[in-house]
Amino acid sequence: MEMLIRILHNYYYMVAILLFVIGMHTMLTHSNLIKKVIAMNIMDTSVFLLFVAIGYTYGGAAPIVAENSEILYVNPLPGSLMLTGIVVAVSITAYALSLVVKIYRFYGTVDYDEICLIRSQE
Amino acid sequence: MGLEQHFPALIIAILFGIAFLSPLLFRWARKLSAPVLITTLAMATMMAVYLLVLVYQGGEFSYYMGGWPPPWGVEFKINLLRVYMLLIVLAISLWIMVYALKDLEHELKQELMGWYYSLYALLVGSMAGIALTNDLFNLFVLMEICAISACAIISIKEDRACLEASFKYLILSAMGTGCFLLGVAMLYMVTGQLNYDLVNEALPAAIELYPNNMFAAAALFIVAFGTKAALFPLHVWLPDAHASAPSPSSAMLSGLVIKIYAFALFIMFYQVFPRPLLESIPINEIVLWLSAMGIMFGSIFAMVQVDLKKMLAYSSIGQIGYVFLGIGLDDTIAVTGGFYHLLVHAIMKSMLFMTAGVIIYSTGIRQIKQLGGIGQVLPITMIAFTIGSASMIGLPGTGGLISKWYLALGALEIGRPIFVVIILASSLLNAVYYMPIIVNAFMQQEEFEHEVKPVPRQMLIPLFVGMAAIIFFGVFSRPVISLLENALQIFF
Repeated sequence: MEMLIRILHNYYYMVAILLFVIGMHTMLTHSNLIKKVIAMNIMDTSVFLLFVAIGYTYGGAAPIVAENSEILYVNPLPGSLMLTGIVVAVSITAYALSLVVKIYRFYGTVDYDEICLIRSQE
Repeated sequence: MGLEQHFPALIIAILFGIAFLSPLLFRWARKLSAPVLITTLAMATMMAVYLLVLVYQGGEFSYYMGGWPPPWGVEFKINLLRVYMLLIVLAISLWIMVYALKDLEHELKQELMGWYYSLYALLVGSMAGIALTNDLFNLFVLMEICAISACAIISIKEDRACLEASFKYLILSAMGTGCFLLGVAMLYMVTGQLNYDLVNEALPAAIELYPNNMFAAAALFIVAFGTKAALFPLHVWLPDAHASAPSPSSAMLSGLVIKIYAFALFIMFYQVFPRPLLESIPINEIVLWLSAMGIMFGSIFAMVQVDLKKMLAYSSIGQIGYVFLGIGLDDTIAVTGGFYHLLVHAIMKSMLFMTAGVIIYSTGIRQIKQLGGIGQVLPITMIAFTIGSASMIGLPGTGGLISKWYLALGALEIGRPIFVVIILASSLLNAVYYMPIIVNAFMQQEEFEHEVKPVPRQMLIPLFVGMAAIIFFGVFSRPVISLLENALQIFF
């Protein structure tokens, strides 16, 4: 029961982990290459979500320090780190999609099973 | 207060800078682009040598990016082990590039050469960064740069096998970096720090409160670095990727890229995680058995291959196992052996891929069966192959023996003789798949019936360098071993 309450309190962590597992499972098991790329993005985004959730404080203000104010701030570091993470994820996605385009030109399909079939028939 | 105090950052800056410039140089001053890249790599190597001298004289020191000390800025740590890794990366990539200049001419389209130089410089720069960095998030960014450029130097060849292999590699290494970032999140959650040393200081208190976070992070790091370094059950991407790539890329990927992640795993477990954590859960045991399985299965898979480069790729899975074996045995002597193997294997596997490249360049043959009698037409290449194989098997006088010797000593030291048996058995297995090629190449009576192109001198000179290096590190192992013993003192 105590465990359940703790999970309920930290539901955003659970959501992040759930998304991560969904992304990873789809990425490794689906045969459609585009779906693999999408799943890769879901996986990356879930980690970004987790990071941003770590940095958030309840009732915190935007971290702009005004003179002699004693309010609670949100931790800005995870947010700025994830900005870098997003850029990295975008470039990986762009590269992966360009590979898919090239593979499509060779095989006429983006399904990995069909590609294997075509290769085995040659 | 001169330029030399900025060398750690400068090494990476000039490599990334040249990555940006080389496509432009290639377009406007085509003749200059290759010499400029070679000069840059040579300069970076010399800076690394200077850093080594500095560390020998004054002990370890830190470099703060932009003058901001941690926890605000990114810190580069320069100690013996980091500089050892940095030197391996830079010197071997310089060596491979000299070979690549000629080899790429027939493997790549002419207009892509500038892009290849660019990717190559990015790859080397990011690996140099991984060797030096002391910051978890910086490591993540460098790992992603390394992953993209490593995939891109495979897919630049643009045939079907290369594209598929690099897509598979990209997906699995994206999974690896995803897992790594999640692990970093777990650590950041409980410590609030990203600098290795500060995380290490904060962790003992955090373990008491949140042990599960630590376990999750440790598991995620094993998956992340295991995938990228092709630790046994996560190696599936490696054979295709390394076998289909252009030969210099294969040499680079098999020689350096998988090693740098093994190194990063070592740093994670021995510098970031505190010792009590390492001893309370069987991380080392897991790494140990996975690597032992990798050593055996890599060799067994290699035996049944018909394609020369594929065989070399499977052999890499076995050989990276030795490095992990050293890490897993958790003993100074064994880790020394593991890191010595890292150096020796980087040299010998790069050289073997170069010989494969020369064979493909000269005769167009990739099948092991057709190599009979090739020793008569390509004598120097096959002698290089013989010396490389001898080192793989661990014959006396080659570097491979020294590392296996130290690994075996380390295994005996902590009372696990079973791993000595595994090392011996895998040496035998290595002999089983390397020896027939050599015997066939030199002993076969019939004439070699394929057409043979003359091999340019520029491709043969690197082979001589490789042969000399393997024998040098086999005979004069003392300097490197004592360097490693000094370097590892801080971890044990």
